[in-house]
Amino acid sequence: MRKIAFNGLLTSLAIILSLIERFIPVNLVIPFPGIKLGFANIVTMFALFYLGFSSALVITVSRCILSSLFFGGMSSLMYSLAGALFALITMTLLKSGFDKLFSIIGISMGGAAAHNTGQIMIAAIMMKTTAVFAYLPLLLFAGIVTGFLTAFISVYLFSTFEKTTIAGLLK
Amino acid sequence: MRLKFKFGDFFVLTAIIAVAILVTLNFHKVDSSAKIAVIIQNNEVLERINLDQLTEVVYVKYEGKYPGIIEVKNGSIRFNSADCPDKVCVRTGWISKPGQIAVCLPAGVIIKIEGENPDFDLIVK
Repeated sequence: MRKIAFNGLLTSLAIILSLIERFIPVNLVIPFPGIKLGFANIVTMFALFYLGFSSALVITVSRCILSSLFFGGMSSLMYSLAGALFALITMTLLKSGFDKLFSIIGISMGGAAAHNTGQIMIAAIMMKTTAVFAYLPLLLFAGIVTGFLTAFISVYLFSTFEKTTIAGLLK
Repeated sequence: MRLKFKFGDFFVLTAIIAVAILVTLNFHKVDSSAKIAVIIQNNEVLERINLDQLTEVVYVKYEGKYPGIIEVKNGSIRFNSADCPDKVCVRTGWISKPGQIAVCLPAGVIIKIEGENPDFDLIVK
C-alpha cells in the first residue's frame, strides 16, 4: 500500500516538475528546440534508487501518459515514452554498477543521452528520414550538461531525503 | 551521498562524446555529396528536393499573383512555365550545379541548388 501511495506521489511530482520546466527559458541560453532540463528524470532516478525498477517503470509510463493527456497528443506520447523508457533502461543498467563503477553523475548523463537517442529514433521513424540524426550530437552535448545538473540536484535531494523519517519507512 | 566522479562516469562521458563525434562526421560525409534543390516563395521554403534521388520527372506548382510550374528531373531543375510578364525565369533554363539559382522576381520565387558547401546543417521536412 505504502508503495502504491509513493508511486502516485512521485508520478504527480514528475508531472509538476516537467510543467515547471516549461517556464524556465532554456532556449534563451541554447537557442535550439527540443532541449529540456529533464527534471522529470530526477524522479525516475529517485524511484530507481529507493523503490526499485518496477516502481520506476510504473511511474515513468503513467507520467508520460498523463502529461501527454494534459499537454500534448498521441505523437508527444510516442516521443516521451520512447525517451523515458530508453533512459530508464540505461539508468537501470548503469545503476547496477553504482558506487563501484559509476556515481550518480554517470547514471544521470547516461540517462539523458539515452533519452535524446530514443526521441531521435522515434523522430526518424515518424518522419521517415535519417536526416534527423544530424541533430543528435547537439542533443547529446546538451544532455551532458543537463545530466550533470540533474545529478547535482539529485545528490542533494537524496542526502536530504535520507535524513527524513519517510526514508525509514521505505527500507 | 556526495557529488564525486567515479571511473565509470568518464567512460559514460567519453562514450557519449564519441557517439556525438561519429554521428557528426557521418553526416558531413553524406551532406557534401547530396545535391538539394530548394524552392522558395516570398522567403518561405516551399519544397526541398534531393536531385540525386529522382527516378521520374516531378512538377511543382506554385500559386500567387503569377503562378507557374517548376519541372524537376534527375540532376536538374527549371521553371517549365510561368505566368509572369517577363519570362526571365523560364529563359534561365535548366540549372544543375550547387550554388546556381533561377529566379522569378515578379512571382517572388527562387530556386537554388545546395550541395558541396551547404549553408545548412540538416534538413527537416
